[in-house]
Amino acid sequence: MRIPAACRTVQVLPIVVGVVFGWVNAVSAADKATISPEDRAFFENRIRPVLVKHCFECHSADAEEVGGKLLLDTRDGLRSGGESGPAVVVGKPDESRIIQAMRYDGIEMPPEQPLPEAVINDFVKWVQRGAPDPRVPVARPDAKTVEAAKTAVNKQDGKPPLWSLQPRTEPAIPEVKNRDWPLDPLDRFVLARLESANLAPTHDADPRTLIRRLYVDLLGLPPTMEDVEKFVSEHELDRVKAVQAVVDNLLARPQFGERWGRHWLDVARYGESNGNDGLGRNPTFPHAWRYRDYVIDAFNNDVPYDRFLAEQIAGDLLPSDSPAERDRHLIATGFLAMASKPAKAMNTNFDMDVVADQIEVVGTGIMGISVACARCHDHKFDPIPTRDYYALAGIFTSTETMWGLAANEKLTASPTDLHVLKAAPEVLPPADFVETVLVLESNTGVPKAIPKPKWPVGTPLAIGVRDKAKPADCKINVKGDAKKLGEVVPRGFVTACGPESSDALKIDPKQSGRLQLAEWLTQPDHPLTARVMVNRIWLHLFGQGIVRTPDDFGVYGERPSHPELLDYLANRFVEDGWSIKHLIRSIVLSRTYQLSSDAPEETLAADGENIFLTRHNRRRLDAESLRDSMLAVSGRLNLEPADGSIIRHRDILVNLAGNLHQPSNHRSVYLCYLRSSLPPELAAFDVPDFTTVTGQRDVSTIPGQALHLFNNPFVIEQAEHFAQSIMKESTNDRDRVRSAFRHALNREPGQNELGQAIELLRLTASELKSDNKAWSSLCQALLATNEFRYID
Amino acid sequence: MNFSRRAMLQSTSCGFGALALNALCSEQVAASSGGGLETRTPTLAARAKRVIFLCMSGGPAHLDTFDYKPQTGQKKHPGSVFRFRQHGESGLGISELLPETAKHADDLCVINGMHADTGIHAQSFLQLHTGDRLRKRPSLGSWISYGLGTENQNLPGFISLNTSKSSIYSSAFLPSIYNGTPIGVNGENMSLATINNVSSDHLPLSTKRRQLDFVQAMNRNHLMQRPADKKLESVIESMELGFRMQSVAPDLLDISTETKATLDDYRVGQQKKSTGTCKVSDFGRQCLLARRFAEAGVRFIEVSHGSWDQHKNHRRDLKANCEVTDAPVAALLGDLKQRGLLDDTLVIWGGEFGRPGLTPEDGKDETGHNSNGFTFWLAGGGVKRGHVHGKTDPTGARAVEGKVHFRDLHATILHLMGLPPNDLKYWHAGREHRLTGPEGGKVVHELFA
Repeated sequence: MRIPAACRTVQVLPIVVGVVFGWVNAVSAADKATISPEDRAFFENRIRPVLVKHCFECHSADAEEVGGKLLLDTRDGLRSGGESGPAVVVGKPDESRIIQAMRYDGIEMPPEQPLPEAVINDFVKWVQRGAPDPRVPVARPDAKTVEAAKTAVNKQDGKPPLWSLQPRTEPAIPEVKNRDWPLDPLDRFVLARLESANLAPTHDADPRTLIRRLYVDLLGLPPTMEDVEKFVSEHELDRVKAVQAVVDNLLARPQFGERWGRHWLDVARYGESNGNDGLGRNPTFPHAWRYRDYVIDAFNNDVPYDRFLAEQIAGDLLPSDSPAERDRHLIATGFLAMASKPAKAMNTNFDMDVVADQIEVVGTGIMGISVACARCHDHKFDPIPTRDYYALAGIFTSTETMWGLAANEKLTASPTDLHVLKAAPEVLPPADFVETVLVLESNTGVPKAIPKPKWPVGTPLAIGVRDKAKPADCKINVKGDAKKLGEVVPRGFVTACGPESSDALKIDPKQSGRLQLAEWLTQPDHPLTARVMVNRIWLHLFGQGIVRTPDDFGVYGERPSHPELLDYLANRFVEDGWSIKHLIRSIVLSRTYQLSSDAPEETLAADGENIFLTRHNRRRLDAESLRDSMLAVSGRLNLEPADGSIIRHRDILVNLAGNLHQPSNHRSVYLCYLRSSLPPELAAFDVPDFTTVTGQRDVSTIPGQALHLFNNPFVIEQAEHFAQSIMKESTNDRDRVRSAFRHALNREPGQNELGQAIELLRLTASELKSDNKAWSSLCQALLATNEFRYID
Repeated sequence: MNFSRRAMLQSTSCGFGALALNALCSEQVAASSGGGLETRTPTLAARAKRVIFLCMSGGPAHLDTFDYKPQTGQKKHPGSVFRFRQHGESGLGISELLPETAKHADDLCVINGMHADTGIHAQSFLQLHTGDRLRKRPSLGSWISYGLGTENQNLPGFISLNTSKSSIYSSAFLPSIYNGTPIGVNGENMSLATINNVSSDHLPLSTKRRQLDFVQAMNRNHLMQRPADKKLESVIESMELGFRMQSVAPDLLDISTETKATLDDYRVGQQKKSTGTCKVSDFGRQCLLARRFAEAGVRFIEVSHGSWDQHKNHRRDLKANCEVTDAPVAALLGDLKQRGLLDDTLVIWGGEFGRPGLTPEDGKDETGHNSNGFTFWLAGGGVKRGHVHGKTDPTGARAVEGKVHFRDLHATILHLMGLPPNDLKYWHAGREHRLTGPEGGKVVHELFA
């Protein structure tokens, strides 16, 4: 009897099913990596196109009716076959149904006419080679699974099967064989998983790599050569102590908050202008920078995360001890006033659009669950019914959102009140300041006079929210249309989340309910809040989350690669008083974090996507770190926080203003993050548009980035300053080159590199008759290298 | 020891470049369509090789441009308030506001039965570009570049002039090489708009090349110590494309080499002031750049103008918008024709919706939005010439015959480019996506020559 081919395809790794649903990518990813480049090329060039062209119409998931229950659009389908048995018998073309069919032997496929001889021969050859098939089983849930997720919402037991909504477990810290390896308990979760897969972690990162990684991860800045040398010598004496010392030092620096605050500002879709309202109008948010400073301070002061959230959602409702604290609380609510609003003109849904943004930032940003779909219909996949949406919406329709004057352009948004701060200093515009950007009368094109604001010039103001005078529950907007109203839904939270401890939380009918929303979100047993934040932190330290879709913990998001680890860390986070610094410290002191990003060939093959954490991930500097690193290397970096924003006195339409950005040597976080008009020094490197929650930025590779490195005035200027400082240090060209390498790359140049650099200098100097330009050219080159722009 | 890497480089027929190219694009593209920006052969017989989309943002008034609605019966009703005349051998009816475009009547294929889902600008504009009203999805130009690559490896496949939100030219979940390259945002000084950082005079190109050689030598060395890192390889490749763009794009962007007659035909730099909603955007310059990019092999070029959202002062602002765009559009059509490019260049004109008609002599001069019936026209690229497809009711309020939804328009454009519209798909976030959405689009075969 023939053994079905499917049984003979040996899985390279055991499937680890720590998840509710079965469509994990982990195994296939590793599996995929074992295919040789030749096999892959052969499949892609000779096999796949034929399958697509001649077979998929009837033999793919998209086929209207699948012929003979045979699916050829997945590797598994092809191997396990259809009604008439496996399509492929590895190594035996004559016994493979697919070959028989192509030869019109018994079955005749494709039915219209036989394929050319050469094509059939390709298939024969392919089967002889073992039918290597690189196709990754994609995350395609079957209808049954989706149905299960949907119907689960309606189940009375309130325990939907979506993993992220399950209460956190209390996983035991696993036993490991290699007991000397772990430094932190978290390492045992990683190692246990590795050992069960017969994998081993790669070697530790060398100290030079590690110190650079720590500086960039914790501060967003590179170390100096002195920092590196000091660490290397201390590391030699006592590695653990050396790392601890440097980590504690870095965590205490104000640059930490600037780095990590920036990550949160991405989540909070922080922007200093509304962004294009759909009609090209883009009013500034002149006071938004206060929220930026609030976030940076919160990270530096390690405000507990539950407190941090409460301040942002309901700061105006919290008691305070001093005017300064009151200011801080009010500023924090800017989190909810940051919407990129569509134009108000002709938009009857405008108010609900603002609410939608607030629900989205709370849902996706804090809970990792998009509630947005439920605005118009029950969420198709995640257990969020429309009723939940409007239960939340009632909280925000009972809230007054204050974005300010919107540049006095009522067509984009009506002007609102603002928080008036008590302790913040009054700052007047420069004496000679006259606003030159004026709104034009749409009929005549004549500039309109700027109305006198209700606050005296210089009054410290903040965007944010406060309760409306008469809070009220919200009616369902049928299909999201504010004109078609359905039943009233009492204000409340996302029912599918639980948690049990929140049953007693009642919304005071005289309040909006934001305070209770904050309380609900930060219940220690809330299934999502801690997991989502732990994952965000992990992501910024490893380049990928334990859940690789940081903003989507829903059915279509990915499952955690290490579910126990995630729960363990989330428990620890909550138990440690929601301390972000504490969590970051634990993670970077772990052995897992300190692994090299290099790994032996076998490891790379077995764990291609690094799901198992066999090594660290190489990462590109993000836009801010790249710019800050260039400033640091050129010696021009101003580490003082910038005071306010270049638009703090300008309530204007950005689209009418031309370029508002000004050169600055402060850290990038203090640049002016105007939506639809991003800082040109950052724009090329995947800075999001800050209109929605961004947990993880894209890392694209596009020629605009190369052009930025070649030609951007900022880059050229830094190269020139860098060159000047190098040239001052010595008169000897070789010493200068060594110094340039030390500054930019924290290492000495190799002999070859030294020679190439000297040659570049010689030729450039003789061509341009300028030593300065030659040195600038070399310095710019160093700033453009991958070695400078990537962290191992 | 980098043995395996060397072995890999030797074993693949295309060597380094192909590896980098594979890394540049997703596995999926590589598998289905060859990958990257390389030119790919369309699956269907292609009638057009490239697209120039003249995007009239804000909702151009169809009844006063291409969809003539005279008064019928005794009682005055909404309709055209500007005079129309028949033009060319085809006798196409075109408004008096577009005398220059009218000279090309016999090249136009007018669709009078367009309809869309919403009269909200931002949503309909997004739907026009991406098929979706709400979410960030790949733009039409990105889908086409994904399907076909581009004809000039020294340039991006998709360029968007006088653009607005990045969501309009985003590749969204498609690989980022298919992202549109913006040239100027509506409201900027469009006479100076360019590709950011495309040139600088701090070093001559020869010195930059030497500098880049040094960088790339370091990058390759860096890569040899980090074998199998495809990201690092793709950076090396992308730096070369960036470098090549420096030698091609600045010249393309420099229109001073055009003759004075051409510059005049396109009315380059001639619009000095905004009139109501009609903003200065040096539309002629952008049309001329579009022709230059088309000629150079860019796959999809969008030129926006706006806004056509003339709520008040309908007559004055519409007239201004027409005046500013009429001659440049005509110049573009003529220029393409004269250069033999119109045959395989599909020119598209239209906006996110139309407008209700005014009723003559009732003293009103104010219009709103109408997504139930409006006009697009196509020219070149294998469509019928001097042809009208579909119609709206006698007041122009809604499409009644030959209805074409944005989905259908998208399907038709893809089909003309040789791409099977409902099969051009990309797997993302748990399902397959396509430009024409879950409903799919109908190819309007009646438009084809």
